[in-house]
Order: sequence, then structure tokens, then C-alpha cells
Amino acid sequence: MYAGKFNLNNLTRLLICNVVVITPFISSNAIAAEKNWLPELPDTVQIHGFLSQALIHTSDNNFFGTTDDNISDDFRELGINGSWRIIPDLQIAMQVVWRDAGKTDEQGLRIDYGLADYRLYSSEDSLLGIKAGRVPTPLGLYNDTRDVASTRPSIFLPQSIYFDINRNSALSADGGYFYGEQNTDWGDFSFNVGIVVPRSDDPDLTAQLAKNIQAYGDTSWISRLNYEWRGGEVRLAITYAEFNAHFSPIPAPIKFNEGQFQFKPLIFSAQYNAEKWSLTGEYEFRGQRLNNFGLFPDSDTTGEGYYLQGIYKFTSYVEGMVRYDQLIWDKDDKHGDKFSANTGAPAYSRFAKDWTVGLRFKLIPGLLLSTEYHRINGTGTISRLENPPGATKQHWDLYAIMLSYDF
Amino acid sequence: MFILFIFLLSQFASAAPPVIEKQQNIVIPVINSANQQDTISRNGLSAIFKMRLLRWNDGSAVTVFVLNDDDPLHKQFCKQILNVFPHQMRRNWDKLVFSGSGQAPILVESKEEMIEKIEKTPGSVGYLNLSDLTNGIKRLDIK
Repeated sequence: MYAGKFNLNNLTRLLICNVVVITPFISSNAIAAEKNWLPELPDTVQIHGFLSQALIHTSDNNFFGTTDDNISDDFRELGINGSWRIIPDLQIAMQVVWRDAGKTDEQGLRIDYGLADYRLYSSEDSLLGIKAGRVPTPLGLYNDTRDVASTRPSIFLPQSIYFDINRNSALSADGGYFYGEQNTDWGDFSFNVGIVVPRSDDPDLTAQLAKNIQAYGDTSWISRLNYEWRGGEVRLAITYAEFNAHFSPIPAPIKFNEGQFQFKPLIFSAQYNAEKWSLTGEYEFRGQRLNNFGLFPDSDTTGEGYYLQGIYKFTSYVEGMVRYDQLIWDKDDKHGDKFSANTGAPAYSRFAKDWTVGLRFKLIPGLLLSTEYHRINGTGTISRLENPPGATKQHWDLYAIMLSYDF
Repeated sequence: MFILFIFLLSQFASAAPPVIEKQQNIVIPVINSANQQDTISRNGLSAIFKMRLLRWNDGSAVTVFVLNDDDPLHKQFCKQILNVFPHQMRRNWDKLVFSGSGQAPILVESKEEMIEKIEKTPGSVGYLNLSDLTNGIKRLDIK
């Protein structure tokens, strides 16, 4: 059915675009190519990057593009970063990313991080440092590098914890961190504590609340404790953060009725890595408060999200993944019935229960082909920008295929 | 009888070289021979290859060279000396590189390039087979 609607020109354009972009990187030997097109750099300067292009199809509901009964190519990422280790204890680094994800992200170019990292103390067993600027936010196991496809276990991260609609706000924030690490005979302990002002450049963030309002990040804080046994065979983490923001109407000569928003995630993470397989689970309490909006009453809800994921490496080139991922927006209204009675919106928009299977192929070093299938109950993870009220379905399927490269 | 004894002895002797060869094939961490340091703790060695420890004991900068993730010598070094799987090392480096908090080790394409780079880079560290040691390269002993 969708084949008829899918524009062949689109596919041709996409293929040409990908071939043109990727070819210089993968000509027979990626490493040699890298050395050829980069000028001779001192050992203390490094350039790395990544790019990805996905094709997405859904049976109903749109996710990252017009995917409902259509094949969309509207999800792509391209990033490049440079770092300079000025002296062993001081590094500056910046990553610029161009990203498109349907209507949830159309801003194109942005700085995902730009920071200075200074080591106050380091020895064979311990490390203490500070970093400041725009810094990747330490949340759970995957957030720090979530924009790079090869560091994700699947094309889409489990949405219960890594809610992609608000990806920019979650990925990084402006501020400073204090961090440290201690290696002992019983494993490695590390921590991050930071004070930041969150980014507020996700189109959906304000659209969820009302039209014509602007979001501003306020002082927030984040902390994460990590434990690793045998270089990461076992990884445990606890994350707690308080993100604060406020909203103002856009034509606002007088700032009255500024609504405040607070998000307090508490995340428990665990992973076991064997040579051929891994098992990962994360659980999150999602505390959310809205105050003084005037448009609707104050609210204080706690949601929950969790997933359990298994990965098996069949060979060094092929791996398979199975995952169950569940997001509930309000623990006191798990099926969304109260919400539906109050607002008239579908009850199933308050949760998402997602079974995913995926297969991933390492074609050559750095080049990945990922495929996955999702069977989803609920629309709690889709954007209102892409899905007008009344046009959604409770049970839907999502198919995605992605080609990605990093160096 | 004597001949049989000689024959057995010669058999025994010819069986000996593979043992030495096996020792020659073990993988060891190596450094530029101008480095003042001769030993390091196991935690320290892990910290160096995880790109977390960036200075030698005398304060000079560390430069790390590694082979490709799929290279047999790299796999052997990760498993036998660092006690991790190569994909765990890759995850550590990806995290540093793509979160801006560190750098990746410098990739060399062959053992020959590893030898060449370590010989001419002060403060460098890598890994080789015992049989590959040259004048410009010395072994880094684990305490």
C-alpha cells in the first residue's frame, strides 16, 4: 500500500546523498582514507565524526517523519568533533551536529558540546577533575553519547528512559561538573556532580503545553554514581537530577503567569557484559511538576519507565537484540483512564509498551547496518507535532533500517 | 639401546624449541626505551590503556598506540593482560571521544608500524610479542 505513495525520486535522492557523503570515508581502507583527507595533525589533536541515515515505516502513528503507511527518510544525523589536549591535564573539545528527526527536530546545525576539561589530580588509582561549558549530561548508561548510532544498542534508544522527543534537552546542558574515579581491587567507582542550565531547543517541549510560549532553562543539578567490575563486565549506576525550566508567552511585554516546570528523574541502571552476550536493565522514576500556568491546574505526577534488553553476538559481524520497554506517564493512572476522563484525550496516550527485536551487521570497521521491528501498545512516546489529536491508533508497528558510520 | 637413547634425546630436544617459541609469542606491554620508568601496577596499566592516566611517574605525557579491534594481538593483549574484552575497551574510548572528555589511542595498522612509532615517540606505550623487542623499545613490567 505504501509503495504507491513512496516517491521514487526521494529514494534516488537519498541514495545519491548517502553515497556522496559516505564514499570518501569508506574507500577500501577507512584508516588510510582518514589520514589522506585530514591534514597532518599533531598527536594531541583528534578529529572524529559520525553520520547516519534511517528509513522508517509505521503501520499507524508518525514517528520521526511521515511514517504512517509511508517510508520516511526524515531521520538523519551528522556530527564532527575535535579535541585538543593542550597539556596532559587540560583538554578542550567541541562537537557540532546536524540532525533532522521529523517535526521533532528540524533545526539542523547545533553545538552538542563545547567544553574544557581539567584534571585536578590523577594517579594510577584515582582521578579528580572539573569540566565546564556545554557538557553531555550524565544520565543512565547511554545518554552521554546518545547522538552516535554505534554507541546505541539499537536505532532508537529505549524511549522509557531516553525519551527522544526531548533529545536536545536531555543530551547536554550549559554548566559545570566535578567528577572523580577511584580504582580498587573490588572494582572502579566514579561520580559526576554538576550544576547546569538545561537547553530548551526541542520544538515539542513547548508544543506539548500550549501554543506561542517559549521555554527557558533554570538552574538545575545532576548527579550520577557508577560502579564497574572487571573493566565493565558488570556496570551499575544511580542517577538523580532536578531539571528546572519556566515558560513565558511569546508576545510578553509583562511576564505574568510564567509557568514553572520541574523534572526529577531517578534512574537505576545495571548491565552484565560477557564476551558473546549482554543483559541490560534500567528503571526510572519520573517526577514531574507543573506550577502557575493558569491555563490548567498545577500538577505533580510521578511516572515510571523501565526496560530489559538482551544482546547476543552471533559472530563479530552480526548481533541480535530483544527488548521490552515500558513507559507510564502517571503511576497513579497507569491505564490513562483518569486522564482521558479529564481531558478527552485517548487513555492510551499515557503509556507505551514496546517489544523490539533487532539485527545489526558490522559491514566493515565503523560501518553499521541496523534493522529493527517494534510492536507498540500505546502512544506515550510519539510527538503531538507529528500526530494531530484524533489521528492516533493504540496498537502499532514500527520498522526501521539505518546505515551509520563513525570514525 | 644407545642409539635408541640418542634418538629419544634428539626427539626431546626437537620438542624443546616450541616451548621457547611459545614464550616468544606471549604479549607484553612495551614502551619507548628512553622512558625512565620500568614498572607499573596493573591498575595503572589499565588506566593508561583506558586513556584515563595520561602522565608517567616523572610527569611526562603518555602516548598510547593500539592495533585494530579485530587484530589477534590486540585481542590477546586485552584478554590476557588487561582482563577485558576488546569491545569493552572500544566502549570506553567511544565514550571519551563522543562526550568530549578524552581522546582515543592512536591506531596503527600493523605490528611493524607499532614498532616504528614506539621507537620514535618519547613517552609512547603499546604492546608486542616478546620476540619483537628492539633496541629502541623496552618491556614495561607489571608489578
